[in-house]
Formats: sequence, structure tokens, C-alpha cells
Amino acid sequence: MLLQSQLPNSLALAPVLVLALTALLLLVVDSIDPDSTNSAALAGISVVGALTSLGFAGWFLSAGTGQVSTGGGISLYGEALVVDGMALFFMAIFASVTAMVAIGSYDYLRGKPHQAEFYTLVMFAATGMGLMAAANSLATAFVALELASLPSYALVAFLKKNRGSVEAGLKYFLIGAVSSAVFVFGISLVYAATGSMVFSDVAEALNGTEFVGVAGLGVLMIAGGFAFKTASVPFHFWAPEAYEGAPAPISAFLSSASKAAGFAVAFRVFTEAFALSAIPAGIDWVLLFQILAVVTMTLGNFAAATQENVKRMLAYSSIGHAGYALIGLAALSAGSAQNGNVMGASMAHLLVYGFMNTGAFLFIALTEHWDIGRRFEDFNGLGSQAPVACAAMTVFMFSLAGLPPFGGFFSKYFLFAGAIGAGFWWLAAVGAVNSALSLFYYSRVVKAIWIEDPSGEFQITSKPIGLYAAVMIAALGTLVLLPGFGPVIEMAQTAATALFA
Amino acid sequence: MNPWIAIGALGVVSIGIPLGMMAVSALLRPSVPEQGKSAIYESGEIPTGTARLQFNIQYYMVALLFVIFDIETVLIFPWTVIYRSALEQGASLTEVLLPMLVFIGILVVGLVWAWRNGAVEWVKSPLAESRKTERQT
Repeated sequence: MLLQSQLPNSLALAPVLVLALTALLLLVVDSIDPDSTNSAALAGISVVGALTSLGFAGWFLSAGTGQVSTGGGISLYGEALVVDGMALFFMAIFASVTAMVAIGSYDYLRGKPHQAEFYTLVMFAATGMGLMAAANSLATAFVALELASLPSYALVAFLKKNRGSVEAGLKYFLIGAVSSAVFVFGISLVYAATGSMVFSDVAEALNGTEFVGVAGLGVLMIAGGFAFKTASVPFHFWAPEAYEGAPAPISAFLSSASKAAGFAVAFRVFTEAFALSAIPAGIDWVLLFQILAVVTMTLGNFAAATQENVKRMLAYSSIGHAGYALIGLAALSAGSAQNGNVMGASMAHLLVYGFMNTGAFLFIALTEHWDIGRRFEDFNGLGSQAPVACAAMTVFMFSLAGLPPFGGFFSKYFLFAGAIGAGFWWLAAVGAVNSALSLFYYSRVVKAIWIEDPSGEFQITSKPIGLYAAVMIAALGTLVLLPGFGPVIEMAQTAATALFA
Repeated sequence: MNPWIAIGALGVVSIGIPLGMMAVSALLRPSVPEQGKSAIYESGEIPTGTARLQFNIQYYMVALLFVIFDIETVLIFPWTVIYRSALEQGASLTEVLLPMLVFIGILVVGLVWAWRNGAVEWVKSPLAESRKTERQT
């Protein structure tokens, strides 16, 4: 109420607008002095922009902008975009991950050329992700998805002289191009069957449509597009390659924010456009997501358990976590009162995941900065050299595994409890078994860091302040979410319930 | 009669005519193979080298910039068409003019950035330079 009476509706997009303006400002700064490598200024602008965006998102969330209490979502530009609780919740995730990535990149990029371009592309990608969360029509969803994807391809290949980085960028781009084509073909089929792009109109036209086959194929293909963005089976191949080859802060960005963006738009499309109450009986997308969730989490966790390279292990674990988050779409049933709880728990899991996974990848960035190798053995005895960062890494690992005293435990607990409450106990059981398995490979890192003796001499001469700060912020975020998890899950579940109303 | 029959007949004829012409000319013409006939035709030039050569990356830069501003024109045209009538029907200047100014402003920022970073500056490739000197000597 507070906000809608004071500010014009178009400012509801402020979290996204701030990110876009920051990107343009970075371009202007780089135009004024193209040869400068003043990374402090560039990283500073990015961090301030991301934090301002976070501030707006947090303010709007607490003031209730676009939420049921103040009259529901604010739709803008002829219903192309809608700002509601879920959109703002995800914008907050993107902004916090972007801020951490920008802080961490300050040290990671030291001495490298094209720094302004790096931060600009990160900001543009974050803008696209924010728009994905707010997209209310299939056309906007596609354009926003491309706005988030295209800078990501360039960022993965940012280390131009590094063969791994370039190869990862090309693979990511090719799989992305294929899945974008699949996605846009799916949109065209849904448009052919319904005659509309706006989600609510699509749902209306689907109710009792005679083109069940065409619409069903379209729904399947659109689900494929989201599977790419969230790194789920069957479009997950790019993830290990891209995360391993990319600069580590970009791996953090892609595996946390980009994945959450895919879920944000998938949640809205499948609850608003292909709502269970409106969809013809022949199109059972819940079954599709149940299969995808089980296969994704199992494949991700088993593949992660066999890795020797820590960054690659984290990449597969990120696929596994996409499987957990998919429960938010898999444990739904038409008209059930539990739908909002399950999806809200999935959103909260993505928030916690945003902190703990970004932190884990930024720790990898720290080890790359020190140049100490990528395998588990290379981490042996690191705890005695850099105890603070290693303590943070331990927090991330146990939190990712879902051990009780950390944020990851609560989000997984609510997710699995929501699935059981909705009557899908077997999804929760598969998730719990997979979590137990994941403890095996996460604890390998912890064991290597603290228990094993160093196999070689470390050459840790520097304490990069930016990377340390970013890792600490991520660890703090993971820990603060312990006492703060109540309000978070409540906010997420309220926002998700509004989608089903 | 089903209208598809006419379309099918058109398809048969359109495939049949070229096939027929090729068959008839194959029957009538003498066969005198010689080297000049099988060589690649390049407007009278003697063909040299393979087709797999590296273009200067700047062709792509110019092409990219061209595409961006081509699309800009495409989006400005419909705006100019509705501009006057939108104003006459009571839309305010901020609704009609401002969005286009913002759009062009964003593109200008991009163009200035590309310009300052040397995207439109023509750098000669060292390979082409060395070839040119070879030819001159």
C-alpha cells in the first residue's frame, strides 16, 4: 500500500532498471578511458549497482509491492511484464549473487584486459535474469532468456588465451543455441494452439482447446528450454564443461543466478500459462517434471561422486541441486492447497543455494588465484595455510550437503516436507537418499582441506581482499539464513501461493 | 475437385520441365570433355588457392554494427508512422517521444563505446601487408 500510493507503477521494475543503468554506466566509463585498468572503480560501480538493486528488491518485498496484501501483481507494458512477490524474491537473489561475484572478480581479474566489458556483461546478464523473473508473456520470456544467455556465453569464454575457457564457451553457446531453437519452436506451437503469448490468455485458451497434440508438443519443448537454463537433464551436458572452463566467478554466477532465473521463469510459465486447472488432461507436465527431477538429482549426484576435479564436482553437484529445485514443479497437483508451500520451499532453496554455491565457487576462484591446482589432492592441508577461507568452504560444503546446523538443511527440510505434505513422499525419499550420497563427495573436500597432510609446498603469498570478502559474505549469508529462515520461507511461500490463486 | 490436385499438378510440371530439358540436351549434345570446362568459373580470373581462408575479423565487427543499426531503423520506422496521429489523439510527449529517445540513447552509448574501443578503426592484418609487399617486389 505504502509504495503503490507513492511511486508510479513503472518504478516497480526498479531492481532491474538499476542493473541495466549500471551496465550502461560501466560502458560510459569505459568509453571515457578505454585503456584504463582501474579495476577498483569498475568493481565498485558494479557492487554499488547490485547492492542498490538488492536494496530496491528488499524494500519492495518488505513494503509488499505487487503482493496480495496490496492488490496483487503490478502488470506493466500491456501485461508483458509483471512485478509480484515471486519476481521481487528472485530479483533479490540475482542482485545478491551479482554483488558477490563483482566483489570476487576484483581480485580474480587483476592485471587482465577488458575488465569493463566483464562487469558490463555480468550486469547485462543480471538484467536479463531479472526480466526473466518478471516476464508475463512467452515473447518477453524468450527475449529475457536470450538477454541473460548471450552475455553468459561471452563471459564463459572471457579468458581468450585459455583453451579450456574458449572450448567451454563454444560448447555452451552451441547447446544454448540448440535449446533456444527448441524453446522458441515450442513457443510457436503454443501460440498456434492458443493464439496468445500472454500467460493468462494462454491458460484461458488452453482450457478446452481442440489442439491438444500441438499444445502438448509446445509445452514439452518449452520445458526443454528451461531444462537448458537450469542445467537439468536432458540439456545438462554444457554445465560441467562450462563451469570448469569458465573463470570461477562466472561459474559461480551461472550456477547460482542463471539457474535460479531459469526456475523463476519456469515457475511462472507452468503455474500461470500451463496452469494445472486449465491444462487439458492429455498434457501431464507434472509427470514430466517428476521424471526430470528424479533423473536430474540422481545423475548429478552420482556423477559428482566420481569426479577428481573439485570444480567439476561442484558443477555436477549443481546439476543435482537443480533436481532438488525441480521438486517445486514436480510435487504439484491440481487444486491442492500444498502447491504454494512446495514451490515456495523450492524458491527458498534457490535463495540459500545462491549463497552457498556462489561461496563454494568463489573459494575455487581463490584457489585458482593462488594457483594450487584443481584436484582434491591439491587441496590437502590447505586448512593450515588459510584457515578462515577453509572454514567458510567447510560451511558451504556441509550446507550444500544439507547437514543440520546450516542454511542448506532448512531449505531442503522444507522442500522435502512440502513434497511429503503434498503426497509425493517418494520424491522426498529420492531427494533424501541423494542428499546422503552427496555428503560423501562434499566431505571429501573437507577431509582434504583439514585432515590430509599437504602433499606439496604451497605458495600462498597473497591474501586477496576482494575474494576473501566475497567468500565471507557468502558464508555470512549461509549462516544468517539460519535464524532468518522463518521470514524467508514465509515470504517465498506467500509469493508462490499467490501464483496459484 | 480438390484444389490440392491443381497444386500437385503444378509441382509435377515444375519438377518435370527442368528434368526434361536436362534429359533432352544430354541426348542431343556432343560430349567433348576438356579441362577448361571442369575448372571453377571465377568471372574470367584464374582460380588460385582454396576457399578456406581467414577473413579479417573487422568485417564481422562492421557487419555486427550494421545489423544493430539496421534493426534500429526497422524499429524507428513504425514509430515515425504513428508519431503524429498519436499526438493528435492526445498522447503526451513523454509517452510518445521519450521511449524512443531512451532507446536511441542506449544505442548511442553502445556505439560510442564501440568507437572508443576501436571497433570501427581499420587495422591492417600483418599477413595481408606481407603479401602486398611480396607482390610489389
